[in-house]
Amino acid sequence: MSEQVSRRDFLKLAGLGAATTAVLTGCGPASRYVVREPYQQMPEYNLVGQSTYYATTCRECAAGCGLIVRTYQGRAIKVEGNPNHPLNLGKTCARGQATLHGLYNPDRVTDPIMKNARGGFAGTNINWDDAVQAVADALKNNQPNEIAFLIGTASDHVFDLLTDLSKTTGVNAPIRFGAMNMLESRATLSKAAENLFGQAGMPWFDVANAQAVFSFGANFLETWLSPLSYTRGFANFRKATETKLRGRMVQFEARMSATGAKADEWISLRPGTEALVALAIGRLVAEKKGIAVPRIFSGVEPLEVAAQADVKLEALEHLAEMFATSNAVAIPGGPALGQSNGLAVAEAVLALNALVNNFGKEGGVYLSALAPNQSEYHRPASAQEMQSFVERMNSGGIKVLFVHGVNPVFEAPNSLGFKEALSNVGQVISFAVFPDETALEADYVLPDHHGLEGWGYQRVGTGVSLPVLSGAQPVVSPYYNTRSTVDVFIAAAKLAGGKFANALPYADEVEFLQNKISALRGEAGGSFSAIDDEAFMASFQQFGGWWKNTNALTAPDSASVLNQSIKTQVKDAEFAGEGEFFFVPFMSPTLGEAGANKPWLQELPDPTTTVMWTTWVEINPETAHHLHLENDEVVRVISEAGEIEVPVYIYPAIRPDTVAIPFGQGHTAYGRYAENRGVNPFDLLGKHLNEAGDLAFAGMKVRIEKTGKTKPVSRNESTMGVYGEALGEEH
Amino acid sequence: MTTLSDLKISEVKLAAEEGGKWGMVIDQDICTGCQACVAACSMENNIPFVGEEDSGYGRAMHWIRIERFWEGEYPEVKMTNQQPMMCQQCGSAPCEPVCPAFATVHSQAEELNLQVYNRCVGTRYCANNCPYQVRTFNWRDYERPEPLPNQFNPDVTVRRRGVMEKCTFCIQRIHKANDKAKSEGREVMDGEFTTACAQACPSNAITFGRVDKKDTLVYNMMHHGQSHGKKHLEELGTLPNITYLNGGGA
Repeated sequence: MSEQVSRRDFLKLAGLGAATTAVLTGCGPASRYVVREPYQQMPEYNLVGQSTYYATTCRECAAGCGLIVRTYQGRAIKVEGNPNHPLNLGKTCARGQATLHGLYNPDRVTDPIMKNARGGFAGTNINWDDAVQAVADALKNNQPNEIAFLIGTASDHVFDLLTDLSKTTGVNAPIRFGAMNMLESRATLSKAAENLFGQAGMPWFDVANAQAVFSFGANFLETWLSPLSYTRGFANFRKATETKLRGRMVQFEARMSATGAKADEWISLRPGTEALVALAIGRLVAEKKGIAVPRIFSGVEPLEVAAQADVKLEALEHLAEMFATSNAVAIPGGPALGQSNGLAVAEAVLALNALVNNFGKEGGVYLSALAPNQSEYHRPASAQEMQSFVERMNSGGIKVLFVHGVNPVFEAPNSLGFKEALSNVGQVISFAVFPDETALEADYVLPDHHGLEGWGYQRVGTGVSLPVLSGAQPVVSPYYNTRSTVDVFIAAAKLAGGKFANALPYADEVEFLQNKISALRGEAGGSFSAIDDEAFMASFQQFGGWWKNTNALTAPDSASVLNQSIKTQVKDAEFAGEGEFFFVPFMSPTLGEAGANKPWLQELPDPTTTVMWTTWVEINPETAHHLHLENDEVVRVISEAGEIEVPVYIYPAIRPDTVAIPFGQGHTAYGRYAENRGVNPFDLLGKHLNEAGDLAFAGMKVRIEKTGKTKPVSRNESTMGVYGEALGEEH
Repeated sequence: MTTLSDLKISEVKLAAEEGGKWGMVIDQDICTGCQACVAACSMENNIPFVGEEDSGYGRAMHWIRIERFWEGEYPEVKMTNQQPMMCQQCGSAPCEPVCPAFATVHSQAEELNLQVYNRCVGTRYCANNCPYQVRTFNWRDYERPEPLPNQFNPDVTVRRRGVMEKCTFCIQRIHKANDKAKSEGREVMDGEFTTACAQACPSNAITFGRVDKKDTLVYNMMHHGQSHGKKHLEELGTLPNITYLNGGGA
């Protein structure tokens, strides 16, 4: 220490113990039971004035990013990215940051409830023994094939537990669903891969090493598949280095998304023509390269396509030149796949990659690695699969439904009739953390811990070259009288006895998890190993997961791609309804599917419009002028399936024949910050499917009526001087 | 002793350029406008949310906001590169001389523009004089119902109604790093810690670090090749400590 120390510095230094370094803590086997204790019995690793950091996994979406949560005297203070986690390398998105507003949300389900009636939360708080007994009775007193599980995508360990249960007892295998996956059209993407490569899987696009990215509607900088990984890829793609030029990005879509806003060229095409445009570009690329036009591209006439798509032929030629001469990659996603011909879009765009032969090469297309404890590719349910599930419920085939980690009454479009179908299910048991719309329709609400209070793991499905299993551990003790759903099932299976008890022979959740990951201990080439299972488990928690150190991306088989013919399938996209506007519903980049109850997410300005706290409909300035519509004027948007009233946001970057509404708001339950705020655009969706069984959510037409009402929309931007809104003039 | 009036403008500038200690470089070409920085900042700094109505009146309290502008008309419409905007930690800050209570002052130790909450009497002169419009005023004691306050960062003051606030460059993190370095008998290293926004930023568009030494991360980015680096409203003589890069995109 140097010569002079001021009093203030001295005091500060005196406060610093030896343990100034942030040490990541993994709960060892001894501390695996989370109990609330008075703080006088402070855990040995907690020091007054010192923070403790825990590695865990984010559950705000299914991507599986690693987090490090700063805790201070038993409270979670701040979420930070886990710098060693291969997927997100220390970064977090806004939804990950706001996960603490879920943990400490004033509207959580605090106790297990046996409800008086569906449609409300009034009921009796029961104790957990009775709750477990209720689950056991439900398992025991029904035929196994009448028992179903509907779960979300962000808790793979719950999925594995229920899969184990279903394998030996005959209960239905768990169905996974989420609005996010629906808008990602995952079934379409993997079906296209299967058709073209002969192998289903999640394609991964190496944006970072490409020179040109052609994105057909893929909102990969917002919520698509693995936004943090794709954003990092984008940053590297954009940066010029000594060895590479700054990458150029082209986005094809009818409404400029936050991703499209970063594009160097934004091509506004008529919805439904994405496949044709991709094929036309393919044909032009082949001609420019001087090769015979492959069969897959041969049926299109670029001039006709240009007219159909409302794009100039010169633009297509210029884009083809760019695609042919740079190391390019084409990505299908978003509303492009949500067309009635979405499968053809996915195939046509993937075929563009075959043309420049970038499969399995830097800056090209790969198939994502399977996670360490995963044997085959698995995707969430498509809308078609949800429809048949709803039919089973309606026919009385489901007597007990368990719901975990998803809010289907809100997230599935009304037209699927999920809520109505619940009335044909004898017993609905929800494990909701928050009082959401589905919990409202349940008979029992047996709240799971919040993601930051519970154990678990999540498989990283795409976004990283390594196989990664991301680990979750409690960072704080449970705030309320909640219990882990896995523990509830393990205990209930024991009570139910027989095959149920045999299917889940674990003492508790931690033993179950240990059992699930112990096989990894023997695998070579992993991020760590350990002398025994318990030490392995402790390290698994401490590091926030286990991953292999070798690249496991595979190159799709491109042999037959170009010789296929999809022109016959590229029927003109069909649009349901009579309206004059194409309708684009999109996932709110800041709220996601379940963010509406987190106040700081509500107050984040939408990246493109800067709107906060509500829903809006985006309308082109010229269209608004013709219809005499102004900002904040409430209009009625009417489709064949329903109608909603929503204020106008005049949006400069949308086609005049298109309107767009973000998904995320419009809750009728889900806590004070979400309830009765905005509207749900899914109310407008029909149940038309594309060839892969995904919902044709972008294949709707709507019309617009004035209502004479206005609703001031909170926005972070100033509108002064925009579209003639004069300074000082009242509007 | 030399006073300010003895020096020519260029000398003042030079002195301050050498003087700044902490700075930031923001690459607008890779910023995606995703709002992760805004959320991270709010969580780190106990910033209240104000609700739909107050935010509609422009009272939202984001210490950092992402500006974007439109160019052209459909179909040739383009969104300009997103521009994260927060306190520029001016070397010669216009907010400072107008404060009658010395609540916004320049820190000698950190060479930052401070906001001393318990001195602030809420005249809002500073916000009025800030050319970057980055100061936010606590119009109310915004409600944060239990148990939300459990999340409060104990290193950061929870402000009350009537107080002005703004980005501090996460001064609590600077202090923590300083304390740790001091206890180990060394200087704070470049890159040893970072601000909440830079830490969260998914595209790594924000870089924070020392600017008073050569060969630091920020210094190198500011002076890299034919840098397109730009400081906003530099012509006002504010000597901002945040440099904006625009890559090939602008």
